Amino acid sequence: MSRLGRVRAQTSAGWRAFVRRRTAVFFTFFFPVILIVIFGALIQTDPTGGGLFAEPAAYYVPGYLAVVVLFTPFSRLGSEVARHREGNRFEKLATTPVTRSEWLLGQTLVNAAIIALASLLILVLVVVLTGAQIAFSPLVVAYILVGVVCFCGIGSMLGSYTDSQDGAVAASNAIGLPLLFLSETFIPLEQLPGWFGPLVNLSPLTYFSRGVRAATYPDGGTASVFGLEPALANLGILAVLAVVAFGFGAYSIPRTD
Amino acid sequence: MTAVVEASSLRKTYGETVALEDVSLSVADGEIFALIGPNGAGKTTLVRSLTGTTVPDAGSARLWEREPTAVDESRLGVLPQEFSPPDRLSARELLEYYAGLYDAARDPEAVLADVGLADAGETWYENLSGGQKRRVCVGSALVNDPDVLFLDEPTTGIDPAGRRTVWRLIEGLAAEGTTVVLTTHDMAEAERLADRVGLLADGSLVASGPPATLVEKYGGASRLTIETAERVSTDLFDGLEGRQAETDAAEIGAAETDVAEINATEIDARDGALVFEAISPTAIGTVVDVLEAEEIEYTSLTWSEPDLERAYLELADDAEAARTGHSGSLEGELEGQVANAELEGARDRSAEGSR
Repeated sequence: MSRLGRVRAQTSAGWRAFVRRRTAVFFTFFFPVILIVIFGALIQTDPTGGGLFAEPAAYYVPGYLAVVVLFTPFSRLGSEVARHREGNRFEKLATTPVTRSEWLLGQTLVNAAIIALASLLILVLVVVLTGAQIAFSPLVVAYILVGVVCFCGIGSMLGSYTDSQDGAVAASNAIGLPLLFLSETFIPLEQLPGWFGPLVNLSPLTYFSRGVRAATYPDGGTASVFGLEPALANLGILAVLAVVAFGFGAYSIPRTD
Repeated sequence: MTAVVEASSLRKTYGETVALEDVSLSVADGEIFALIGPNGAGKTTLVRSLTGTTVPDAGSARLWEREPTAVDESRLGVLPQEFSPPDRLSARELLEYYAGLYDAARDPEAVLADVGLADAGETWYENLSGGQKRRVCVGSALVNDPDVLFLDEPTTGIDPAGRRTVWRLIEGLAAEGTTVVLTTHDMAEAERLADRVGLLADGSLVASGPPATLVEKYGGASRLTIETAERVSTDLFDGLEGRQAETDAAEIGAAETDVAEINATEIDARDGALVFEAISPTAIGTVVDVLEAEEIEYTSLTWSEPDLERAYLELADDAEAARTGHSGSLEGELEGQVANAELEGARDRSAEGSR
């Protein structure tokens, strides 16, 4: 039972702690909703014209999902790690059998559950409000879970290397916002300067975006990767990045002062 | 007895600050060892070194002759200083959470009862009082029924009755064989609980031993403190024998032996107080008679035996003076604060008893 029991204890405590923060729960779901309303229902897409939203509505599904898949782990893990440091909770946990990876796994599972629910809401709203025609692929679930693992790892590092909760939230915004818009989510690569293209490949969110688009919008023209099916190949790349990010994220959690 | 906790020549610095300097100690199986010392003396750093949550720059820390990080964590119970667990879990959920991290753990309900919170189990941590919060934190260190317990200021913020609950709990654990290392600023706590006390000052262990030994060695003598309305000169008590011969013995009311006692006593006159060191209780009446005869108004009279607080102040005085640049006696200042509080309450009693 050991490892499983510890992760279960961690997950259970993390879930309760989260759902009892009503404002956090509200805004976790409200943030993507408001973006869909603004971008999808108010600004609307204009497939025949120019501008920012010139693609069909289905093109932007990865972007809307990315709002929660990227931002929720960044801000939640960042502030949770900072809160743990400020309350000397890691000092306490370091003297218990729980390992850093078990702690991070517990937090990741809580985030995965929250983000899965939020993603479901987003998909429904996108279809209802923007009229997006999307394919419901089970790969989307895999992308969401792997993406959450990846960004929880990065969020953990943000919390570990900043010196306060405020710092962690500021850092998560400063890093998350550019990633959200420059990872082929809302802005197609063609709209960016040519020299910027290779930089897009450095963002893990790019592979999430390309893969989810390939899975939900097959007509979106997502490029294959080394001749492989883009929906699977991008998932593979994201999974590798997730393992690395999770490893570094767990390692970054302080065990000593 | 076998040493369970050992530190050998520990040194730890944070930048320019030396937190620990050549600290060595050992704690035997089933012993309660209390670390006392001023703020910043290095108590928490020492506890962290012993629990493996900080890495010393030099020296070694051992638990059961192994590196602290190499021991089975289920044998350790640790309460960090300023520990703040997730605040929107109830007291019971918090203990269940920490219990869930161990393969074998005590029933959280029993731990709640042990720390006196059986009725507050459903209350979220953030809604508990400061003392109740600390009790939950103490409970979190007990859920795994540890063999060695490190408690960094376990009773800070807990009311006197609750403090005694925690004391009884610690005494019970030690009686069952648990080794306890605790830090405290409460000298009564150290004196009551500890088999041995270690005093840290400026990162060095300046004294260590059973409380009674430290009191005997550093606690000074018994002391009589008389609060007076005005500053009184110690000259008042000079040549008491001569004056006794010249005056009516009944007026002064001093037996020869008491007079001799007072003359042998070190008398210190401070603002609003006369302090007699090493004075016998039998000489108190003579001192009072002198004051009465000289029509000196006094408001209270406090008698104190040497205790661990005095020993602490004696030992910590130099370190504090070096830190603050004040050469005045910390003991005197702190004692003055304590005495003022005590004297307020004692005023009526002493007035009745002495006049």
